[in-house]
Amino acid sequence: MKLFALRVAVLFAAAYSPVEALWPQPQNIQTGSQTLRLAPGFQITVVGHGVPGDLIAAVGRTKQYLFQDRLERLVVGRGAVDAPTFSKAKALSRLTLSLAKGASFASITSEAQKAPEDRDEAYHLEVPADGSGATITANSTLGLFRGLTTFSQLWYAHDNTVYTISAPVTIEDAPAYPYRGLMLDTARNYYPVADIKRTLDAMSWVKINQFHWHIVDSQSFPLQLPGFTDLAEKGAYSSSQVYTQSDVRDIVSYAGARGIDVMVEIDTPGHTAIIAEAHPDFVACAQATPWATYANEPPAGQLRFANATVTSYVANLFSAVAKLFPSTLFSTGGDELNTNCYDIDTPTQAALNATGRTLEQALDVFTQETHKALEAKGKTPVVWEEMVLVHNVTLSKDTKVLVWISSDNVKAVAQKGYKLIHAASDYFYLDCGAGGWVGNFPSGNSWCDPFKTWQHSYSFDPVANLTAEESKLVLGGQHLLWAEQSGPQNVDPIVWPRAASSAELFWSGPGGNLSTALPRLHDVAYRFRQRGVNTISLQPEWCALRPGACDLTA
Amino acid sequence: MKLYGFLLVAAQLPAVLCLWPLPRSLEVGSSALKLASSFEIHLNVAHAPSDLEDAVSRTKAFLKNDKLGRLVVGRGASDSGALQHAPALRSLQLSLAHNVPVRSITDEARLPIGTRSEEYSLHIPADGSTATITANSTLGLFRGLTTFEQLWYEFSGEIYTVEAPVSIADSPAYPYRGFMLDTSRNFFPVSDIKRTLDAMSWVKMSQFHWHVVDSQSFPLEVPGFTELASKGAYSSSMVYTPSDVQEIVSYAGARGIDVMIEIDTPGHTAIISAAHPEHIACAEASPWTTFANEPPAGQLRLASAATRNFTADLLASVARMFPSTIMSTGGDELNVECYTQDAQTQADLSASGRTLEQALDAFTQATHAALRAEGKTPAVWEEMVLDHNVTLGNDTIVMVWISSANAAAVAAKNFRIVHGPSDYFYLDCGAGEWIGDDVANSWCDPFKTWQKSYTFDPLANISAAQAHLVLGGEQLLWTEQSGPENLDSIVWPRAASSAEVFWSGPGGNLTTALPRLHDIAFRMRQRGVNAIPLQPLWCALRPGKCDIDS
Repeated sequence: MKLFALRVAVLFAAAYSPVEALWPQPQNIQTGSQTLRLAPGFQITVVGHGVPGDLIAAVGRTKQYLFQDRLERLVVGRGAVDAPTFSKAKALSRLTLSLAKGASFASITSEAQKAPEDRDEAYHLEVPADGSGATITANSTLGLFRGLTTFSQLWYAHDNTVYTISAPVTIEDAPAYPYRGLMLDTARNYYPVADIKRTLDAMSWVKINQFHWHIVDSQSFPLQLPGFTDLAEKGAYSSSQVYTQSDVRDIVSYAGARGIDVMVEIDTPGHTAIIAEAHPDFVACAQATPWATYANEPPAGQLRFANATVTSYVANLFSAVAKLFPSTLFSTGGDELNTNCYDIDTPTQAALNATGRTLEQALDVFTQETHKALEAKGKTPVVWEEMVLVHNVTLSKDTKVLVWISSDNVKAVAQKGYKLIHAASDYFYLDCGAGGWVGNFPSGNSWCDPFKTWQHSYSFDPVANLTAEESKLVLGGQHLLWAEQSGPQNVDPIVWPRAASSAELFWSGPGGNLSTALPRLHDVAYRFRQRGVNTISLQPEWCALRPGACDLTA
Repeated sequence: MKLYGFLLVAAQLPAVLCLWPLPRSLEVGSSALKLASSFEIHLNVAHAPSDLEDAVSRTKAFLKNDKLGRLVVGRGASDSGALQHAPALRSLQLSLAHNVPVRSITDEARLPIGTRSEEYSLHIPADGSTATITANSTLGLFRGLTTFEQLWYEFSGEIYTVEAPVSIADSPAYPYRGFMLDTSRNFFPVSDIKRTLDAMSWVKMSQFHWHVVDSQSFPLEVPGFTELASKGAYSSSMVYTPSDVQEIVSYAGARGIDVMIEIDTPGHTAIISAAHPEHIACAEASPWTTFANEPPAGQLRLASAATRNFTADLLASVARMFPSTIMSTGGDELNVECYTQDAQTQADLSASGRTLEQALDAFTQATHAALRAEGKTPAVWEEMVLDHNVTLGNDTIVMVWISSANAAAVAAKNFRIVHGPSDYFYLDCGAGEWIGDDVANSWCDPFKTWQKSYTFDPLANISAAQAHLVLGGEQLLWTEQSGPENLDSIVWPRAASSAEVFWSGPGGNLTTALPRLHDIAFRMRQRGVNAIPLQPLWCALRPGKCDIDS
């Protein structure tokens, strides 16, 4: 049904305005071909009492974007070609936001931080061509916010006129999938809070609603955690490369106000070498060499999960982290466990002997204990796919599974009945294709070559090979940036606008047309730049100004 | 001989020594030495040119402002003990050898390729007595200053080295150490080009190859030909005016960099049709795949006498904007089908009784003659000698781009060579296809890592007798998918790898190079260039620990 609606939308787009530049594409859209200006005194008002502060702030940001984007339309001649229509164009002086009857105001933040399945992001947008008031209605402030985001993409600027050439506009919109994410790894290399906030802004502009924060890993532990401050003190790259409690609060609330929930990940029991700096007793094979025997990348080191002390330490650690993050989701990781590491680890072997458990049985105990601690804090655990496909551990049925190794593994996860999040390296890994980073290896390409172009990601099918029942388990998906070769220096160009392709895929549904998507993606990329995000060029500007002229068959 | 000397020195290096490119001969100690707060650089050069004085000022600013912590665990905290009793260096003295003429860095950098003097000697005693740089030219002094700046770290307010004394005798293995930027597919403001020139100078690059125009846009405002930019630039603000050019050329010169401009002809010229449709065959012809390697199609009507004269005049006018002795006329990817289907070209060929190849020869001779009349030596892409039968001057410089395997064939024809092979030096490879409605990889996959570029052998399959033909090489950024947004991150620190290959000579050790490359990347960041991390910081602080075999 949704897919069908999207196809209709694409038809509309083709018939009316090939340069219509909304991203993600609304589920249902009708546009005209009249020019409409924004009146100089243009106002946005919210109807009702108890309007939350974050919605008022969102209205303020929208007004700023409307008048400061100053984006010229991407056609040969840019905005000058539209100027002749300005004098006869009607002026829009008001946009009114209101909740549907019976709905009551709650903050965008609290709506965004609900469980994915409970979020209501639907909205209805009307922009009449005659200058009479535009409206956005929704069942929630989060829906109103999504509508504002769409509204702000409708407008171009030339000289001092802010205008659209596509009035009237009627949009009925809601996401195809409730989880539309982006993952950032802040452990391989550190990102200052300002870079994360800029990334959250950009995410919100394409209606991404989930920030998956892979905050720590074997290389560094930048999270300053109450009761566990030794981890960052000894494991952060430096005393300035940390996220304090107040940084975390700042990021979580900045995200929330932009309709984004923050799922933190404390990857265990692998990917934990750096914990050895503060607690050498808790980590097996710490910095063991050759690293290739004990880990997928240097440094080696994994939690001694067979040890009861370690298990209760990690459970307590999870509880402490859980208190910092209001999300219902919390990832405990679980990828790339290396068994060689434990084979040579005397304390682990002793613990296994003492308890009479196999390594797999010990992993089961560890997972149950640590997940129990999370569930006591009201969190739903999220794990990487190996926890259900490689290991035999007991997980609660509502555990959500991130599929990363290959899109081929989706079916197997679905068959086990778990809800799943698409994060497949063969479609969504933003770091692939940039060459190997391991030293003394001149012939080394990235393990997940080739580079994942936006076109490749965009062609992903979230329900490939799934039955109708299994398809219901798909929560959505995300692009991911592993940061072995990234930092603040290239976070914008490596992420944007590529990550927008999954944002549309999981909002609008799959099956989008590459030819009509490209001009829209250029548009959102150019708009990002106007707002200070360094999105790269997908093509020469010659092509960006001539939709279709640089297609393969043009 | 050179190779042998280099390897011997490299093996003896302390792991933390962080110069890039590595000097040809280097001795260092293990004593700590601080820069005195009163540290001064004395220019012992009569009538010192102002660009040398400016370079000295920049060096002093870098020494003060780099504030780079040493890349070890603890970032220099472990050095604080040694610093307490370390002597302080109060001055660095720069002087030229006796009886050498005093010219500006700019003038020295623009001398014909192969006649530039970049060698220098640098001595820093461990006891705090005066350090010295001596050279045979101001350009050599400038290279020495660049090396001097890389020796120092900062911890807790002290600027210091832990490797005094230092004794360096240095000179480049190859004179042409370049970087090419395409400013036509996407436009780069002057400030981005200047920042790139700064970064180039920090790794002693000597040549900026400016691929200024192409089929997509013509941002160069050429006196007498201003209609090309007014109709062919992306917008009136996306142009390089003559004063922008002057600014870029002098900014480069002051940093020891010569600017070789390229006006790619007769292909890659579709945009000229916006102002002069009469000069362009198959302009925006479709399907573009029949008429060009990428959209839009369009090539100069090389068989037309009017077009030939127009091009010769255009090249002469551009030549007058650029003081370099070298100018590239391009010559890559000529599409024959474009001319086969062009009625006017066919008529011109019939009228003159020439084949297309003969017409190309006449075109090339005419345009090169125009350049030579302005005192320029032409440079061309490899097809002009490998695919076409055109008459070229013996001193023409040939840029090898299609494959490193083609260098030997160019050398066999006895032309001078600049290495720019896509299989080692193309910075855009590996980022996916940019053509629309196509899910594919880049044509020159995979990505060229710094390690791959670093293993390039400039003399592979080239005989000893032909070795003198190799002028050097360059890494290149074609900008279908680049702009100011990712210029720094796609170029740096990767382009530093060829800078070292062609300064220090090939055969460098990847394991000892990596910590030095981390160091220069971190230093670039301190100076405002967004060089990307090559590895997790964990690895950068622990040399060797993230090697494949460690």
